[in-house]
Amino acid sequence: MVRARGLAVLISAMFVAFACGGTTGGGGSKGEIDIASELPTSGNETSSGLPTQQGAAFAISSLASGTYHGFTIKFVPFDDAVNGAHDPQKGVQNVQAMIANSKVLGMVGPFNSSVAKAEIPVANQAPLVMISPSNTNECLTQALDYCQQADGFTAASLRPSGKNNYFRVAAADTFQGPAMADFAYKAAPGGLGITKVAVWDDEETFGAGVAGNFVKEWTKLGGTVVDRKSYDPKSKSDFHDFLASALNKGAQGIYVGATSPTKGCIARGEMTAAQAATIFYLGPDGDGDAQCIKDAGANANDHMYATQGVADATQNPSAKSIVAAYSAAYPGASNIGAYTFAGYDCAAIILDGIGRAIDANGGNMPSRQQVIDQVAKTTNFAGLTGVITFDPNGDPTHPTLQLQQVKAGAWTFVTQLSQGA
Amino acid sequence: MIGTLARMPATLRNVGNTQISSLIGLLILAAALVLTIQHVMQESANYFFQILVIGVADGAIYGLIALGYTMVYGIIELINFAHGDVFTLGAFISLAIFPIFGVVEGAAGFGYVIPLIATALITMLLCGLVNVTIERVAYRPLRHAPRLAPLITAIGMSSILEGAMYLWRGPFNLHYPDLLPSNVLTLGGVSIGAKDLIVVGIAVIMAVALTLFIDLSKLGKAMRATAQDRDAAQLMGIDINRTIAATFFIGAVLAAAGGIIWGLYINNVDAFLGFETGLIAFTAAVFGGIGNIPGAALGGLLIGVIAAFNNGYFDSSWTEIIIFGILIATLVFRPTGLLGMRVPEK
Repeated sequence: MVRARGLAVLISAMFVAFACGGTTGGGGSKGEIDIASELPTSGNETSSGLPTQQGAAFAISSLASGTYHGFTIKFVPFDDAVNGAHDPQKGVQNVQAMIANSKVLGMVGPFNSSVAKAEIPVANQAPLVMISPSNTNECLTQALDYCQQADGFTAASLRPSGKNNYFRVAAADTFQGPAMADFAYKAAPGGLGITKVAVWDDEETFGAGVAGNFVKEWTKLGGTVVDRKSYDPKSKSDFHDFLASALNKGAQGIYVGATSPTKGCIARGEMTAAQAATIFYLGPDGDGDAQCIKDAGANANDHMYATQGVADATQNPSAKSIVAAYSAAYPGASNIGAYTFAGYDCAAIILDGIGRAIDANGGNMPSRQQVIDQVAKTTNFAGLTGVITFDPNGDPTHPTLQLQQVKAGAWTFVTQLSQGA
Repeated sequence: MIGTLARMPATLRNVGNTQISSLIGLLILAAALVLTIQHVMQESANYFFQILVIGVADGAIYGLIALGYTMVYGIIELINFAHGDVFTLGAFISLAIFPIFGVVEGAAGFGYVIPLIATALITMLLCGLVNVTIERVAYRPLRHAPRLAPLITAIGMSSILEGAMYLWRGPFNLHYPDLLPSNVLTLGGVSIGAKDLIVVGIAVIMAVALTLFIDLSKLGKAMRATAQDRDAAQLMGIDINRTIAATFFIGAVLAAAGGIIWGLYINNVDAFLGFETGLIAFTAAVFGGIGNIPGAALGGLLIGVIAAFNNGYFDSSWTEIIIFGILIATLVFRPTGLLGMRVPEK
């Protein structure tokens, strides 16, 4: 594992070196433009951050080899992990270093919502465009009434200049609940075809929010919420009463607004074998992990579903050749993370924006604001994780999630769910 | 008196307000009862019994933990805050012992009865030794110190145990093997899980055994004597240190049994489980009358049933407010608890 990662770093470094060497030697370049990445790529976070960085590096090396609209494009990776964990202060220092380098016109990242919260105001004043492959906190982009109270910031307070410089390709948390509601309500095949659900949440921002969004969509569709409960996971371990109540009211499925650490899948483990065989158990990405399967014990079966933050590019037919090329350049399963191809898409969108900004500027080096303006205009961009158009907040208009189901003791791909599709 | 260990300290009593406060208490109780009956009538009888059984099963576990709190309080007037964590430790230790006996989930059957009992006995012994050690290290040296001192070391011990369990198994939820039969028995249209019956049965057996032990054995007599008057007991030739250590040992045995039953019933434990569960069990002990053994069992049962009914028929977000509301109301209006009035006169 460690050796494979070391090799991957070496290969990616060679790629960057090769890309630079190859283009500067080519002659005829009008100058150098840098695209940075800002991800946690060391310590515990290597397995999530590094494959994402490689995705971005691969996009630039394959889409902008030689010169791109007359310019040499260089990829500059930054690491925001300190002692092996992502660190908002380190992230801000990285962004300041990018801003100080006038060649940097865009940034892929950050990976974590908490880092984004610290970085957006700094990048906003430069201004520098940033596109995150993986941030899902809805308050980073959307003006919702609970943001100040729940998260301590609003989308507006993160943008002192009053203009937007932040975009993302991942779906905000506000989409996960409705996406699962649509799937569960839709008649089989292609859905579960159930009409009665019981819902509980863990009284936390994410859990209660995602459950609330599920309920809103569910009732809009015409479904019935037979039972709606909130529990403090510190004192709630016995879900027998919830299960008795839900089933007494005829629930065909249970939606859980919780994560594995907040006991999201423990209620599943407390069902009887007969209940687990017929009752669907549905949850957000916080439940879609190995811990959930452990907690569900013998009841971890194909009646358990969870949504995941982004689409699975390996299931996208039009992405096949690029995914194959990436796998050839970065062989091994550890080099494909959940957000590798989201990282690719972020870099490709920045590159596309820079290209249009160069053209709009008469073939000259564009300003950072010109790049932001062009990225904001991104429309129907054919990415690996979906077709991407940004709304005025910087969110994708039709985000795509993947739905997973437990099969043979592991979460496996079922289908992609697109908003507004 | 049967199973009664101690008198209530006079400082907790407030005799003057008893009548008015009892009246207010009764009014609140009556309103709650009417509201509950109203909600119960709206659902099926089957559902009522299901919720009742769940409440009794939870209550039985709370009762087992409450017994330990009440015994220790009865004998040295100390709230042993580490007790809830000894309960968690019981679940953790048994979880580590299962693989030694080859106990795995899925192939449940009568073949597991003997390994399960062996695991339980070893776990109870180990937890008993841990609790005796805690008493020796953190409470005995402070026996004549101001009351606050051992209370603080108790909280410290609680944190140490939680920290040790966290280091041992990490912050995760640990899956506890599902070894009890998941059959559902239907009795006159009412379905009751075999699991629930087993949990309640074990708890009742342990509580009865404890009561008999305290009433009939020589050590039990020594414990009662020590609780009544430590100095007089010592003058009569009772080894006080040994008696107190025995109390901690028995309390921990019951807590460990509670931890194992919890694991088998809930199928899930984590390092910090004991804190909140311990507080609820402590509430049960106070509710029943602290120092009073049948009181602790009754208090646990009632708290379990009240929590289950609130979760089953009302808004579950209120459950903690109600439980700890009961704690405060008991201390303010009826500090002697439900059965605490049956205390021996000095």
